[in-house]
Amino acid sequence: MRGDLRRVLRLTVVGVRHHVLCMSTSPMILVFTLVTPLAYATLAFYLFRAADRPGTPAQVAVGAGLMGMWESVVSRAGGAVQTQRWLGTLETLVMAPMPLAVSLAHITLAAAIVGTYSMGATLAWGMLVFGMAPAFTDPALFVLAVAGCVVSLGMIGMLLASTLVLLRNANAVANTLDYPIYLLSGVLVPITVLPGWMQPISAVLPTTWAARAVHLAAGGGGPGEVLVPMGIGLALSLGCLLPAVRMIAWVERRSRTAATLALT
Amino acid sequence: MITRAKVRQGARVIVIGGAISYRALFTWTAPAMFVSSLFVVPVLQLLFFTHLGRQLGVADDRFFVIGGAVLSAGFPCVFGGTMAVANERAYGTLGAVLLTPGGRVALWAGRMVPYVLNGLIVAVFTLVTGVLILRVRIAPADLLMIVPTLVTAAASCSALGLALGAIGLMARDVFMVSNLAMTVLLLVSGADVPRSALPGWMRAVGEVTPVTHAVVAARAVAGGAPLADALPALAGEAAIAVVLATAAVVLLRWFEHGSRRRGALDAH
Repeated sequence: MRGDLRRVLRLTVVGVRHHVLCMSTSPMILVFTLVTPLAYATLAFYLFRAADRPGTPAQVAVGAGLMGMWESVVSRAGGAVQTQRWLGTLETLVMAPMPLAVSLAHITLAAAIVGTYSMGATLAWGMLVFGMAPAFTDPALFVLAVAGCVVSLGMIGMLLASTLVLLRNANAVANTLDYPIYLLSGVLVPITVLPGWMQPISAVLPTTWAARAVHLAAGGGGPGEVLVPMGIGLALSLGCLLPAVRMIAWVERRSRTAATLALT
Repeated sequence: MITRAKVRQGARVIVIGGAISYRALFTWTAPAMFVSSLFVVPVLQLLFFTHLGRQLGVADDRFFVIGGAVLSAGFPCVFGGTMAVANERAYGTLGAVLLTPGGRVALWAGRMVPYVLNGLIVAVFTLVTGVLILRVRIAPADLLMIVPTLVTAAASCSALGLALGAIGLMARDVFMVSNLAMTVLLLVSGADVPRSALPGWMRAVGEVTPVTHAVVAARAVAGGAPLADALPALAGEAAIAVVLATAAVVLLRWFEHGSRRRGALDAH
């Protein structure tokens, strides 16, 4: 049992590292992860300026970074199976002795880690270009909140990967998931300004709590303020992970039974 | 001398050639991709920026609905225009296209036409959906007056797409460039942020890139101004379309000459 756990952990480290390196060498992924969030940060900064709001809103840089992290997860995790299908490695992953869910978890976690490039880029951009310095009182707490966000997004990515696995046009569906989550999770727009019927949906999204934890940590919140939403976000994400694992196991069994490892 | 037969031949290349190239090269025509990328995403983007602007009190909902609708024309036009050229190489058909005796202006202009129509449909859908969801008040007559601005925006974005596709014949990953182009349009066009809030250099870039002038014209007519008042802005947008389309044809011509000289029609 302990040997199995050690094997999974070792494989996770190796797998995540491999996928992070692969994603980090793709110019297309880097453009989406670095340039697009900077554009959002810039646009939001000028919108704040147009609104004549006092102060320099560091939440703009943090919010744009969170947008980039989510975009990375949706694009890479949502299309994880399809990408492996295109690369011709899906069959190998399914046939490997390790459960398919573990192999997919490497990809979704790697996507969330690559998403942190966005956070780094928007924070650096905000500070250097617009003077938007986050009001950290505890940088370690901010790093912890971002790490919690990465784990949450990784688990949500698993749910996306498992539910989109049977769709031929998974990318098309994943395309539509960016803006609703930006809006519902309060990454830039506070959820209090959303219509009343949207707010319960927002409250059950792990991304809302993860984003809240990161925003609070960046805004100078203490451990008590940050750790509670982070914990809620992780708990809700765990709720996504369990059905995802079952779904992936079902899909794998089905594909083996039908002898269609390409899962089409 | 231009004869009637030549005109007919050119028209056939534009209409039939354009339609065939659209069906063959535009890879987003699968229903799921078509609906999600061209109808759902622009509306969601519009709603996101409207709520952001509403929360900040920057401008009213109409500002964002009009801006978002005009910008949405860029989705099919920029990406489609790029595909109309770049996918010829990807599918290995560029050599055959370059060997045809047909006039090059008609050949490449024909590639733009379907995307202009596609862009118009997407922009009208985004506009009407935005108006209905956000209950923005625009008189039906003013809505109709916006259509010419959407057509010019679609034309200039298609020309931009074609020019990017031409550049793409010499680049490895042209769709990365298209994505960057859409991001630049979002930033500098004033579709989602008042241009007065942008720094001078961004306003200057916006002056010479698609969408900006069409947004100005559309907002003017949506506010009840007669179309004549919007004509200078419309003319500006049309001029950008002509310049970009000319640049695309010149670039493609230059690429064709270079390829013939090297004896490598789609390899470089």
